[in-house]
Amino acid sequence: MTKKGIKRLAGKVGGIKNLILIPLAALWLLTLLLDIFVVEKIFDPLGYLYIAIGIVALLYVVWPLYTGRRLVQYYWQRVKRNRLAVAGLAFILFLILLALIGPLFTPDPTAANFEEKNMPPVGFSIEESVYKAETGQFITKTTSGSWEHPLGTDDKGRDLLAMIISGAGVSLQVGLLATGIAVALGTLIGVVSAYLGGKVDNILMRLTDIMMTFPFFLLLVFIIFIFGPSLAFIVLVIGLTGWTGTARLIRSETLSLRTREFILAAKALGASDGRIVLAHLIPNVVSLIVVIATLSIPGVILAEAALSFIGLGDPSVTSWGMILRAGQQSLDITWWVAVMPGVMLFLTVLAFNFVGDGLRDAFDPRSSV
Amino acid sequence: MKEVILSVKDLKTYFFTKRGVVRAVDGVSFDLVKGECLCLVGESGCGKTVTALSILGLIDSPPGRIVGGEIFYDSTDLTKSSAERLRHIRGKEIAMIFQDAQSALNPVFTIGDQIEEQIKLHLKVSQRRAKNRAINLLKEVGIPSPEEVASYYPHQLSGGMRQRAMIAMGLSCDPQLLIADEPTTAVDVTIKAQIIDIFRRLKESRKMSLLFITHELGIVSEIGDEIVVMYAGKVAETAPAAELLKNPKHPYTSGLIKCLPDITKEKERLESIPGTVPSLIDPPGGCLFHPRCKRAMAICRKEEPPPVVISRGHTVFCHLY
Repeated sequence: MTKKGIKRLAGKVGGIKNLILIPLAALWLLTLLLDIFVVEKIFDPLGYLYIAIGIVALLYVVWPLYTGRRLVQYYWQRVKRNRLAVAGLAFILFLILLALIGPLFTPDPTAANFEEKNMPPVGFSIEESVYKAETGQFITKTTSGSWEHPLGTDDKGRDLLAMIISGAGVSLQVGLLATGIAVALGTLIGVVSAYLGGKVDNILMRLTDIMMTFPFFLLLVFIIFIFGPSLAFIVLVIGLTGWTGTARLIRSETLSLRTREFILAAKALGASDGRIVLAHLIPNVVSLIVVIATLSIPGVILAEAALSFIGLGDPSVTSWGMILRAGQQSLDITWWVAVMPGVMLFLTVLAFNFVGDGLRDAFDPRSSV
Repeated sequence: MKEVILSVKDLKTYFFTKRGVVRAVDGVSFDLVKGECLCLVGESGCGKTVTALSILGLIDSPPGRIVGGEIFYDSTDLTKSSAERLRHIRGKEIAMIFQDAQSALNPVFTIGDQIEEQIKLHLKVSQRRAKNRAINLLKEVGIPSPEEVASYYPHQLSGGMRQRAMIAMGLSCDPQLLIADEPTTAVDVTIKAQIIDIFRRLKESRKMSLLFITHELGIVSEIGDEIVVMYAGKVAETAPAAELLKNPKHPYTSGLIKCLPDITKEKERLESIPGTVPSLIDPPGGCLFHPRCKRAMAICRKEEPPPVVISRGHTVFCHLY
């Protein structure tokens, strides 16, 4: 098709964006229907969620970033001056790559192999007392790390590197998805509350207060205790309870925005309430949303790790919290099992915080960064 | 026979605040003839903008409310129209543009996007049509290289350009009536002349009716057909533009005219009207202007002045006549 033809087609459906969206959404729906009615299991349920999120992200994140290259470049210049933020961003990208392609090169993180249990990382060796049946004596055996298991193995002989990589995937999934739900909900509630004001504002903000006073972790434990631990459920619960802070911040920002003249101008030119919220208010708080989202990811990751640590995580996936839990029981000998996920958690949380701070400074027109 | 497009009758818009009732607009009436320009003139705080917002049903409620009067547009009473109907009228039939284009344009979208959005809101047209239309509109308001300007964000434009873009946005759906709320206040003198020129041209070429809100009588003489002088939420004097400027009757009107610099007179101090617009919560009794009026009489303190017809179309609310 010629370029002109594409343009004409795009004009008919309301922009190139829709031209991409409609076939992708149709394809997605078709696969889903095929999956349900004809073939079994093309992707698993989470897979569909990810593909849907991917399509939405492509259109509402990648596309605007591409069309707003100039602006992106401007902010990148500002972020770049903050070395820690750049380092954090690099670490996050590394983590994403690790989670995406790592599993292809590592053994199954759940496969136990008692022949090779308690192997130390490369470059380390430990001494162990082993009972020898032939002589009936305890002898001291030295085990050194090998490249077969670069980070060693745990007490069941599972490869620690594979476990860490699997954990990275889990942490990122939980962090991004739960934050996505929480921030989307918080933004909508905050903007609507501030824009409509009056009774609606009062009701929504009191609801937020009630949500905030609820001991969130207890609620989480309680719900998981009742409904059983599954990763999707943990994500959903964290997302549905974690929007309160976002709602408040977005509300206060919107309160000052709604009195600005361009909102009145939009009304004077016939825009509806829904349109003003979606097309005028939310785009004006995007920078705040990005910062809030980045800074709330670490909390979510830690919440999931904490849940797994106390044994309430999804038992079918290997997460960092779970490895920590396994490792802390034998911290005196196989220290690396607990240290590795601890270090990864520490670095991940730090990286997201640095990036969040960097973005906040970059978006703040008053800062001289 | 002249066709009246907008008729405001005894409009009363009050704001119910904790400190009392603010009678921002209190019994204002005027008729806007199709294809003509009516100027609402007065100092800051006279209720000019509130009148305009009342017409469009944009008074924030609470605290504000239209407590009385009628606003007829095309034989429908806007004060009794549903919110949905009003929303369709806003932008498509009656458009409004604002004083400060810097804050009246959304800072996060390009000029082109904002105009296109506006077009698609009211007219069912394709993206491409909307884009062409937006560019034509920008050309119509005298923006050079409109294709380029369409891709700019509001902060990348100069004040005059922004104001033009704002006007283009107001024009996007061919409104019958354009309300311009002090569109020349935030720009400098040379740009002001250009902006007024645009309005005059639009009035001619589109046969569009204009409700022009301003505090500058100089502009009024350039563009106005009819003038309504407002003071403290009430009409002080209405007259055809030429008549009012030549033969002002109300002391407030003549005071406003004397405030204008005259290029033929040299080194003369400009006169000013002493005092400010009174508090509308606790207005003075009788004629609202009497505390500042040089020719105030005993009756002015006690009784509200009745309308006095000076000549055809020239009415003044003053005890002097």
